[in-house]
Amino acid sequence: MSTQLKHKDEELDAEVSGHSAAARTITVAVAGNPNSGKSTLINAIAGTRLHVGNWAGVTVEKKEAFFEFGGRKIRLVDLPGTYSLSPYSQEEIVARDYLVHERPDLIINVVDATNLERNLYLTVQIMELGIPVVMALNIYDEAAEKGYRIDDKAMEEMLGIAVVPTSATKKTGLDELLATALRVADTPKQRAPKKLNYGEDIEVACDYLAKSFRSSYPALIDHYPQRWLLLKLMEQDSHVMKELGLDNLDFLDQALHHLRRAHGEDIESIMADARYSLASGLTHEVLHKPELRQTELTERIDKVVLNRFLGIPIFMGAMWLLFKLTFDLSAPFGKWIGAMTDGPFKRWASAILTPLGAPDWTVSLVNDGVIAGVGSVLVFVPVIFAMMFFITFLEGSGYMARAAFVMDRTMHSIGLHGKSFIPMLLGFGCNVPGIYATRTLENPKDKVLTALLVPLMSCGARLPVYVLFVGIFFPKNSSTVIWSLYIMGILLAVGMGLVFKQTLFRGEAPMFIMELPPYRMPSLHSLCVHTWEKGKHFLFKAGTYIFAVSVLVWFLLNLPWGVEHKRDSYLGQAGAAIAPIFQPVGFGNWEAASSLITGVIAKEIVVGTMGEIYAPKKDEKKDVPTLQEDLKEVATSFGAACVTAAKTLLYLPQAEEKEEDQGGLKVAILGAFTPLSAYAFMAFVLLYMPCVVAIAAMRQEFGTWKWAGVGLFYQTALAWTAALIIYQGGRLLGLGG
Amino acid sequence: MGVADVIIAGVIVAGACYILYATLWKKKGCCGCEGGSCCKK
Repeated sequence: MSTQLKHKDEELDAEVSGHSAAARTITVAVAGNPNSGKSTLINAIAGTRLHVGNWAGVTVEKKEAFFEFGGRKIRLVDLPGTYSLSPYSQEEIVARDYLVHERPDLIINVVDATNLERNLYLTVQIMELGIPVVMALNIYDEAAEKGYRIDDKAMEEMLGIAVVPTSATKKTGLDELLATALRVADTPKQRAPKKLNYGEDIEVACDYLAKSFRSSYPALIDHYPQRWLLLKLMEQDSHVMKELGLDNLDFLDQALHHLRRAHGEDIESIMADARYSLASGLTHEVLHKPELRQTELTERIDKVVLNRFLGIPIFMGAMWLLFKLTFDLSAPFGKWIGAMTDGPFKRWASAILTPLGAPDWTVSLVNDGVIAGVGSVLVFVPVIFAMMFFITFLEGSGYMARAAFVMDRTMHSIGLHGKSFIPMLLGFGCNVPGIYATRTLENPKDKVLTALLVPLMSCGARLPVYVLFVGIFFPKNSSTVIWSLYIMGILLAVGMGLVFKQTLFRGEAPMFIMELPPYRMPSLHSLCVHTWEKGKHFLFKAGTYIFAVSVLVWFLLNLPWGVEHKRDSYLGQAGAAIAPIFQPVGFGNWEAASSLITGVIAKEIVVGTMGEIYAPKKDEKKDVPTLQEDLKEVATSFGAACVTAAKTLLYLPQAEEKEEDQGGLKVAILGAFTPLSAYAFMAFVLLYMPCVVAIAAMRQEFGTWKWAGVGLFYQTALAWTAALIIYQGGRLLGLGG
Repeated sequence: MGVADVIIAGVIVAGACYILYATLWKKKGCCGCEGGSCCKK
């Protein structure tokens, strides 16, 4: 009866608000633990309406979406994923400051139903703010599959907040969540979360503080959420104390002295205990697990992959499999793009430009500069996207967190924690986000050391260089050779870490708790979205600075005007000037040296420049196909590429490959390198100075050129030394010259 | 190479340099983070 009356009141209240309520935009903040499915939930709700930016003054990503639901305008603000609202990391400070100062109309607290107790710790802290909360009990389907029964009605009763079971991956419960959010936002007074009891001692101290504080600082207590402010004062939160300009409050010292004496612990532990007790008690009340719980799949898999002896070999094996799948599946599409850029695209460009009366040199600029340069890089787009897809799969499945865990012991040997391996793993995609990811590490020393090691991880931009050389010199063992380069990067990172630990960064590695999310099968949609997010910047690069560099390289290869041999061009002369440096490491030719110069801008430009340097001369005698024949060729060769990839995936036998027409680039590289010098060249490209964007990222992240300079110098020295050891060592072992 | 060719070549080189300036220096490249915003201040 009372519930019915309450609902009537709420409806009346909403009606009175009338049009003004319907017209205003409701601001909803979304908060939750990392891995609680928060991002998936927001993507499922907002989709393409999501705008990505940064929180003011910091480099923490901010996602926002404006949309309408039930005729109401909603502004959804995604807060950084945090475990608590304590001011230890930038993410926590950003989330907390937003909630305290911006006061959204409502908070949607995303809670992982399979990990209830840990997630409720944040819920308890959010409730301290007094802002209406709706709990999205997410991953509810997995919890149900595990046999968990969660009494969400009891939870609503105990916390005084609405609880809506959801599954962001299956997109269930989302409409109900938004409808509940609107209802709660319209009746905020009735929906304020319950004041949770933190135990008699804390509550008495809180009351005493409230009275004393109100008489001394009446303006402050009205300006901030009262209970939150009092609890923060008790915790002596330095961030809050500084913001309020408070120091040495006698009444606070008295209250804390009493608490410390009563508990025999420091205040931080007392408060954390109180919150954990609430989270734990609540979990016991509402969560019913099956009594005879079988060993779960996650535990069974972890027994093997986290095994002390098997962990690292399994990680290496997983990496090898990743490369194998990547190259086998993407190779037919790469060949298809190569054939298109070499044939039809160049012919079409000439067919358009020549009738327009364009000078011959502009036709050459487009064909031998832009199409040869950008095309040489575009050939590797399938391989990059395939690799990003499999890396995303490993991340989404939960295995990448295990990889960091198994590397923990190794990382400790170089004075770092396994957590530092995560930016390194990100570096496999692109070094730049890997460098930015170091901000998740708490210790400034760890940040710098990790950022210096991240560029040794082989990013996707190096892949075109490997694939080109491996395809020419090691076609039968392509994935193994490329895998060896990735492992070389990891081993050298460990080695350099040891050197840095003994010199620039002395000290012990701090201890952290590393989270191991349960294994999950990522949805195809989320895999595709994240693959696109990771891979799209390669397309961006191809369309912008690789395009621009291709144009400039063409000019540098053709100036002074009318130059007969490319060797005598400006780029050729620059390459020839530094080529002797590379003589001892096996590639002392001007072509390789010139490519390495332009490759500083982005590593894939090494291939683009080689494409331009070795661009074949026009063969006038060849019959030129018609446009119709070209289009037919484009379609049939794409179909053939799809069939080959599908056969590879299904392990079906494939027709013997025809002897390939050796393109000009391949022939030229075969003439300029041996297998040994090709391997030394790939190792050099892996290790030599980071690209300009990575250097800029280091400068931006650490506010000084010093560490970018250290990285640039040590990596180039390391690259030359490694290439020398490979080449000269190989010669000594009789592996060729 | 005539005057017109020199002018066209100059414009093309200037355009390429501007693209490099705009993407590498001004925009600091696209660093490949999720959402592509991590390098923006």
